[in-house]
Order: sequence, then structure tokens, then C-alpha cells
Amino acid sequence: MQEYRKISITKDEVVPVAEKMRAQGIPLAMIHAFLDENGKGNVSYEYEVGPAIESYTVEGENVLPTITHIYDLGAEWPEREIMELMDIRFEGCDTSKRLFMPDSMLDGQGQILVTPMDKLIKKVKGEEE
Amino acid sequence: MSYIVPIGPYHPALEEPVHARLYTEGEEIKDAEVFIGYNHRGIEKLAQQKNFIQTLVMVERVCGICSHSHAFAYAMALESIAKMNVPKRGQYIRVITAELERLHSHYLWLGIALHIIGHDSLFMHTWDDREAIMDILEEISGNRVNYGMVTIGGARRDISDETRKNVLEMLDKIEESMNRLTDILLSDKTVALRTQGVGVLTTEDAKRIGAVGPHARASNMAVDVRIDAPYSSYDDFEFKKVVYPTCDVFSRVVIRVLENYESIKIIRQALDMLPKGPINLGTRIPTIPAGEYMVRHEAPRGQLCYKVVTDGGENNKRVSIHVPTFKNAPTVPTMLRGNSIADAGLIIASIDPCFSCMDR
Repeated sequence: MQEYRKISITKDEVVPVAEKMRAQGIPLAMIHAFLDENGKGNVSYEYEVGPAIESYTVEGENVLPTITHIYDLGAEWPEREIMELMDIRFEGCDTSKRLFMPDSMLDGQGQILVTPMDKLIKKVKGEEE
Repeated sequence: MSYIVPIGPYHPALEEPVHARLYTEGEEIKDAEVFIGYNHRGIEKLAQQKNFIQTLVMVERVCGICSHSHAFAYAMALESIAKMNVPKRGQYIRVITAELERLHSHYLWLGIALHIIGHDSLFMHTWDDREAIMDILEEISGNRVNYGMVTIGGARRDISDETRKNVLEMLDKIEESMNRLTDILLSDKTVALRTQGVGVLTTEDAKRIGAVGPHARASNMAVDVRIDAPYSSYDDFEFKKVVYPTCDVFSRVVIRVLENYESIKIIRQALDMLPKGPINLGTRIPTIPAGEYMVRHEAPRGQLCYKVVTDGGENNKRVSIHVPTFKNAPTVPTMLRGNSIADAGLIIASIDPCFSCMDR
């Protein structure tokens, strides 16, 4: 079984952790995110530390600093995808262009994972009041 | 003269929809951008409303080529949360299916690459060989794709002695024709002219952007989840990471050809050592406690990540799927720069993209 270690951090520690990892040549496997029942963000920065994954997780925050200046496109695509799929923002990440969702589908930030399915269907069909 | 040349989302050189925008100066590509999402089906959203077995069936349909990898990774995430011990025979059957899937995926890509290169006779030979692998997958699972071989806690179908013999015979046949294919691919002038020095992704760029799988190994990065972070029963088998240093499209061809030999090696070992005993822990809907886990699996195109969050209920709280193409597609603009428009289709295809997987 691959080892998985969850480590809670604050939003202020996101950049220093990324800088430390990058300096050690540790790859960023992925950034995962979801929203809790109250719409608060849960963002995990998954680093490949040897055979294990160290998951540095920030809970309860919907605005986080970008790490694109540290992990380049390896962080930019996950950050842009998260911003388009749920109400979480990465300050400093360029969002001038859509990566994933068409411009016409949603207003502002993506809400796919938190919008009820019936409401989404109405949105796509243009039946929303 | 400067042009903006759009490729896709629907284009004859692309097997699946993606949009690339090339900024050119005459025939030379100066810069490029990639846009994705044309195959988005909301699978992560749907997974939040389905139980674990329903999700297992659904995630297998994220992709038609690496379907087993998705089911394998999702099941491993749940088994890790629930601390299940998958029976060894079940693990071996999963690995055998995974390596057969890798073989047919690599053959598929080689065929497509040869078709784009313009070597159609070899493309047809390659896909003819691939049919033998598809036939054996059908014999094992009942299906050419979407095998349904994984259940949570093991494998769904056993491999009989007769099938075992047929797989070994197929491997002998494939290996023989692969030797011929390898000779041609490594010495043919047409292949060399279209691939050598084309679409270069340096090791430094591959590391900076975070390339994975055969694409990374073709840029001289020694990464392979099966060896770096062994899972299931991969540490029972002897095989090596295939790495090639030229960092161009040719390197990506070589890697996939040589990796086929490693897959054959793994399958032979797994069939030889196939343990006796049960193949799974039962097929009823399992009880999964609250928890979260992220697993990595070496899919045919590279590292596949599944992060699953559960709350002790019947459904997933969150399933997050990130496929190798999501990591490799950002390398495309770097590879395109400085090449000619005529090579753009081949360069994009050289990452062995699966946009269906990526968009999920």
C-alpha cells in the first residue's frame, strides 16, 4: 500500500512549504480541492516524497496564494481547474483565459461541484430565470 | 507574415477534441496555447451521488483505453481507506490486466503515430498485432475494453488454466513480431526523418512542468510509479524503468516499443507465480469508513491520481481524478515552439493524449 500522510497547514504556510519542496526537488503530484457542507474550501497540495504522498492541507479557506511562480504549469493547470470548478480562488494565478469550462456556461467562478444537478441542467438549457 | 493557426477542437489529426492555437511566423511556430474541456462529462460530480460499486462501474468509463487503470486506482483508494487486504491472486489478476492494457494502449499509440508519420503499412501491421492482445483481453474479461475485472477487495473474474496458456502463447507471438517492429522503427528512414529532433522537451522543461509516464521517461526522467511507489503486487516482479535521452518524438516512439517488452516480462512472471486462493473479499457493497486517501497508479500514459474522500456513508463525498494527460498537456506549447506547422499534429499526438480521460 502506498503511504499517504495528511499534514494540516495554514494558508500562510502554502508558499513556504512549496518553496521548501521545490528546493529539495520534490514533485508536486497534484492539487486537490473540495468544498465542505458550509461551502468552505479544503485544498490539498500533494507532494511525492519518495514512495509516500505528503498531503499539505488547508481547511476552511476559499482564497489561497498561488504557487505557480514555484511549480510553474504543474501548479497553474490544477489551480485554474479548481477555480473553474468550485468557489476557491488562488491569488496571483492568471485567470484571464478559461482552461476548462466554456465562457458561456457559468457566471464568474465555476460552481459545478456545488450547484444542484437540476439547476445545472436548467443553466445549460438556458431555462434559468 | 504572422498567423494564428487554430488546430481543433475537431481535426483529422486529433483522435479526441482539444483546441490548440498556434502563433506562427511563416511556417514556424513561435508560441502556442492549449484549451481543454470539450469532453467534460461531470463524472466527479456524478460520483458524489453514487455508491461505491456504481462509482467503480462509472469511473471505468472515464476512458475507453485505460479503463482498467481507473477502476484499479479507485478501488485501491477505497481499500486503503478501509484497510482491506486484497487477496494475492486478485492482485496478480489486476496486474496482468493492467499490463495487457498497457500493451494494447502502446500499440494503439504506435499505430496512430505511424499513421500520422505517413507509414501506413507499418501502422496496419501494428494494429494487426494489437488485435491479438484485444482478443486475449476479451477472453479474460468478456470485453475488448471496459473489462469489469476489478471489484472493491480484489478481482471480479478468475483466470483459468486454459486462458493462462492462451495468454502465454499470445505473448510469444507478439514478442516475435515486436522484434521485427522494433528493428523497423529504429532503423527506418521515414520514421527517423519525421521524428528525430522534432518536438523536443528537455529534461529540465519536463521536470519544471511536471511531465509523467512514458512522456517523462522519453525526456530522460527516471520516473515510474510501479517502481518508485510500488502498489498492489508490483514489487513481486522484476522489470526496469525504460528511459531514453533524446527528448524528441523519436524518443517517445522508442520508449513505448521498449516498454512493451517490460510489460510482457511482468505478465509472464505473474502468470508463472499466480498464487492459489480467493480472488476477492466478496462482491457485496462494502462498508467504507470516513477517511481520505490519494493513490497513484502507473496507467499506460503515466501517473494516474485518485483522491477519494468518504464520510462513512454509502456514497463518495469527493472523488478527484487526475490523469497523465492533465500533467503532460501543458508541455505541448513548449514542444511546439520552433517547429513547423506540418509537425504540430504529430507533436500533440506524441504525448499520447487522452482528452476523454483529462476532461472526465
